[in-house]
Amino acid sequence: MTSPIPSLKAAMAAAALTVLAAPVLAQDTSPDQLLSAYEAEAGASADLARGQALFTGQHTGGKPDTPSCTTCHTMDPRAKGQARTGKVIEPLAPGANPERFTETAKVEKWFGRNCNSVLGRDCTALEKADLIAWLSSL
Amino acid sequence: MARNKTENNETQPGDAETTVKVWDIWVRLFHWGLVMTVATAALTGFFANATWLQLHIIGGLMAGALVLARIVWGLLGSRHARFADFAPSPRAVIDHLRTQSRGGTHRHLGHNPLGALMVFAVLALILSLALSGLGTLGGVLRVGPLAPDLGTDTGFALREAHEILALILAALIALHLGGVAFESWRSRENLTRSMVTGRKPSRSGDVRHAPVRARGLIALTLIALAGGGLAVANATLSGRPVPGLPTATMPELVTEECGACHMAYHPALLPAANWHAIMRTLDDHFGEDASLGTDDVAEITAWLTTHAAETVDTKPARLFARGPEDALAITARPAWQRLHADLPETLFTTQPVGSASNCAACHQDAETGRMSPFAITLPKETQP
Repeated sequence: MTSPIPSLKAAMAAAALTVLAAPVLAQDTSPDQLLSAYEAEAGASADLARGQALFTGQHTGGKPDTPSCTTCHTMDPRAKGQARTGKVIEPLAPGANPERFTETAKVEKWFGRNCNSVLGRDCTALEKADLIAWLSSL
Repeated sequence: MARNKTENNETQPGDAETTVKVWDIWVRLFHWGLVMTVATAALTGFFANATWLQLHIIGGLMAGALVLARIVWGLLGSRHARFADFAPSPRAVIDHLRTQSRGGTHRHLGHNPLGALMVFAVLALILSLALSGLGTLGGVLRVGPLAPDLGTDTGFALREAHEILALILAALIALHLGGVAFESWRSRENLTRSMVTGRKPSRSGDVRHAPVRARGLIALTLIALAGGGLAVANATLSGRPVPGLPTATMPELVTEECGACHMAYHPALLPAANWHAIMRTLDDHFGEDASLGTDDVAEITAWLTTHAAETVDTKPARLFARGPEDALAITARPAWQRLHADLPETLFTTQPVGSASNCAACHQDAETGRMSPFAITLPKETQP
């Protein structure tokens, strides 16, 4: 198939490839966008109280050293936390740390790890929506 | 002895007792300087922890330098400073023992043949200690003038030799003190005071020697030349590149991912088998899920194992490479536990350290994987 403007087509293909090959850009989302996306996936609305209960509650299904999100993030997600290694964790609430929940890949990576560490399973889309809703409200 | 001439200016007016000058000021300064430097090196070497190593090295090298200066003075100094004055033959030692055991009163103003043996043994031991210490510094810690020539195998062997020599020196010092005490009692004179004042009571039976002129200027020139030569040699030798050191720069992926929850440990701190095992089990990474994408796992594993402990020649790499494979973490390695055993548990559990995994809290060079004893600073105060 011949194109009347082959150079333009080639340029467009090159541009598309460049976009595909580039790493996932930082700051590709926001807490609100993530919240909507997780709510849409769950087919239900987020609930602040449920998010708070999940975050501050003690759980038994996960790894024994991390029974709660608060083990490292502390009871106040606006404050700095501390990993079990002693390393400082920057505040988790977007109100205290605007960098939080702005990178889809990072959010998914840490939900994946930490839900498994604390609960022993993946979080559902609704649980993620609840958590983001509560953390964004702080 | 034919030379019976009394030395000039040997009597000191005002003394109740006539005294003769035996030890010149340089011999005495050397002796007490050696006492201080050897005591510093011995105390820090036998009893202190790694944070005192710098003082140990300073003490040891200064003792070595004093011995070199003493060798020059032993050839050019005043009569009783000269090796020729007291270098004993086996016959002299035997004769000395024989006469003294029969209650002989014959006194040597300078070193007697047994004392002279001690002098030569101590000088030789201190030089050997300084050399084996420099070798340990170069081989084990991979710094200093001998670092490019020696690896950890030679270094550890030299450290063993250094420790054995130190024990022998400690035994000789004990013998020396016993000998001085015994000889002071036997000859009814305070030999220690003589090493301070330089004078001994003059006695009728003393063997008198003609004075020997000290060649002070030549000696000083020689010592200055030797010192300058050693400084230049040290700078030249130390300036050479040292093979087998960890030099690789950590890629951003490793710094980012490994450094998210703990310091990004240098790959030379664990053998490749441990890195493989750790990267295979990221879903249960010392009590937490630290899962990563397959590509990232492959890339990080490749880099860690390419620069693992087996690929460098440093003390931590050698020590942490030893031990069972199931002791996965650096802090679980037998050498880590042995080296940190003396530290109080609260140091690790309280701020500012917080956790034994926080190497950089005390090891300022933790990122480089060198863990030099010169870079250790224990936090002064800890809080719960």
